[in-house]
Amino acid sequence: MSDLKLTGLHKHYGTYHAVKGIDLEVPSGEFTVLVGPSGCGKSTLLRTIAGLEEASAGTVEIGGKNVTWARPRDRDIAMVFQNYALYPYLNVYENIAFGLRARRVASTQIDKRVKRAADMLGIAQLLDRFPRELSGGQRQRVAIGRAIVRDALLFLFDEPLSNLDAQLRDDMRVEIKRLHHELGRTIIYVTHDQIEAMTLADRIALLRDGRIEQLGTPLDLFERPATRFVAGFLGSPKMNFLSATIEAGEVILRDGTRLPLPAARNAINGQAVVLGLRPQHIAKAGASAAPGHAQLAATVELVQPTGSRVQVNIPLGGISITAEFAAHEVTTPGEQVRIDIDMTRAVLIDPQTDKVI
Amino acid sequence: MTAIAHPDRNFKYWLISPAIFLLLLVGLFPLIFSLVVSFMRVTMLETDTSFAGLANYAQLFHDARLWQSLLHTVLIMVIALPVELLLGLAMAYLFLDRLPGRQLLVSLLVLPTIISPIVAGATWRLLFDNRYGPINQIIGWFAGHPVPALWTVNPGLVYPAIIFCEIWQWTPFMFLILLAALSNVDRSLTEAAEIDGARFWRSFRYVVLPAIFPVMSIAILIRGLDLFRIFDIIWALTAGGPGTMTETISVYTYVQGFRQFETSYTAAIAFLVIALLTVIVTWAIRRMGLAK
Repeated sequence: MSDLKLTGLHKHYGTYHAVKGIDLEVPSGEFTVLVGPSGCGKSTLLRTIAGLEEASAGTVEIGGKNVTWARPRDRDIAMVFQNYALYPYLNVYENIAFGLRARRVASTQIDKRVKRAADMLGIAQLLDRFPRELSGGQRQRVAIGRAIVRDALLFLFDEPLSNLDAQLRDDMRVEIKRLHHELGRTIIYVTHDQIEAMTLADRIALLRDGRIEQLGTPLDLFERPATRFVAGFLGSPKMNFLSATIEAGEVILRDGTRLPLPAARNAINGQAVVLGLRPQHIAKAGASAAPGHAQLAATVELVQPTGSRVQVNIPLGGISITAEFAAHEVTTPGEQVRIDIDMTRAVLIDPQTDKVI
Repeated sequence: MTAIAHPDRNFKYWLISPAIFLLLLVGLFPLIFSLVVSFMRVTMLETDTSFAGLANYAQLFHDARLWQSLLHTVLIMVIALPVELLLGLAMAYLFLDRLPGRQLLVSLLVLPTIISPIVAGATWRLLFDNRYGPINQIIGWFAGHPVPALWTVNPGLVYPAIIFCEIWQWTPFMFLILLAALSNVDRSLTEAAEIDGARFWRSFRYVVLPAIFPVMSIAILIRGLDLFRIFDIIWALTAGGPGTMTETISVYTYVQGFRQFETSYTAAIAFLVIALLTVIVTWAIRRMGLAK
């Protein structure tokens, strides 16, 4: 059974068309991430699911019930906001209990559930405090507590980690993933951060300009992007895009470099293509090339160590591409190296349609 | 190295003392002067200015008309203030969402507050006129026969008329201030409450009200003080009549001072009012936590 089903969903703000026909079905218990650059309509989509915005066309079904015109409170949802949205004049206990009190749950039951949620999130010692006395991470925990205590069918997260610093964001990400395993609830999670999307999601819906560009598991989108946009959006450092043509079963770059054509790609001879290479698939060459790999000499331009890996800039095909070497393969700018390109994992993009061939 | 004489640290106070002195003279002198007068036997009809001790203050306690006027003032206040507050709040809620023509409507609604109260009072006196006033005429249309209601004379109608004018003129003030306060309430808070399942009242009580409370308290305080000093509208509509039925503390003070020419006694009344207001305002400010 699906907990959420969107059919032909549109949202207009005056003349601005924010959501342009979204069809999405989320199976029960799945963690779905809506990801995309800012302005792609992901937050609007989430707010329309929540009922905070009215759909201009299409239907929203939650738990098999058509709730397109239902009020937010009648949709059996809980939501975590980007700015936490904690009630500033209520203490942590009352913040978490607010939704239960509004739904007239018995107070003994409220006490039990608030304490259980606080224990799960490690905020049991903060129940008497007020939101202004909490740190950002603690506030976010309270906001999550307020959502999970309600035991709603659908949990909506609107960029919950974007106000936290990097360290805390990593911790909270783990926490959210753990909560999902423990509660087994359906989660719709909005973010612009591709790392969050990749690490948290069972399925990612990558949005662009009000439409779903691609829907699939994180690995699906990473390994088999459908378009140049998806290929470029996911992965860090970004995928390298090189103009090339196909000739006699080989990929010819602008500077004449010949690379083996990835297997089973029906590219036409003489066709102009864009070759997409992930930095992770360009390594310092070993003794001999594996099948489908290409080895060539190059001069290192720039070296950026990140600790675990080293990002190296290398000229190739007339542009400067990024490669990611292992940390121990440290090089210095100006050094001659042999690189190994794994062409079996390269993508070929039709420059006319921006679709992956 | 020659020793530099240590500059007089108090010199700065000498520099600002003339300004302070002038401010005190302008601000405090009238107050002190009227305090002095309140202990004398000054009337504008006689030349006797002898010291009267506490006689004027003693007289306050036997002046039934004074306490009646205080009662009238409080009566108007306890009815008009909550009505203005609730109406203003309801209107502010209505105008919170974006509506076409919102700005124009808000400007029009605020017009009554811009008019000088004495002009508003005179206008309403014409509107309420028993023979030529449009109000009686309109009521007459509905009743089907002429209604010669004496709005500014009939004891059963004078208070409704006064309170109506007061509410008409000052609800927009509440409306404007509360609209500003409501627009500043964090929208995601009310949205969170809505998703949490809170209906209007719960969301208002726990989310909106605490947020607008400081601004609302100040609006209540300002309007409360205004209502305590209410004069113009009553003077224009009824001049305190019929008899002394709608005489408020300000009207009574004016009558004592400038109709009866009891200058010293008027000063004593003024100090009674100051004392009362000081106690009430101090209490209100503490109570509302505005001093924090």
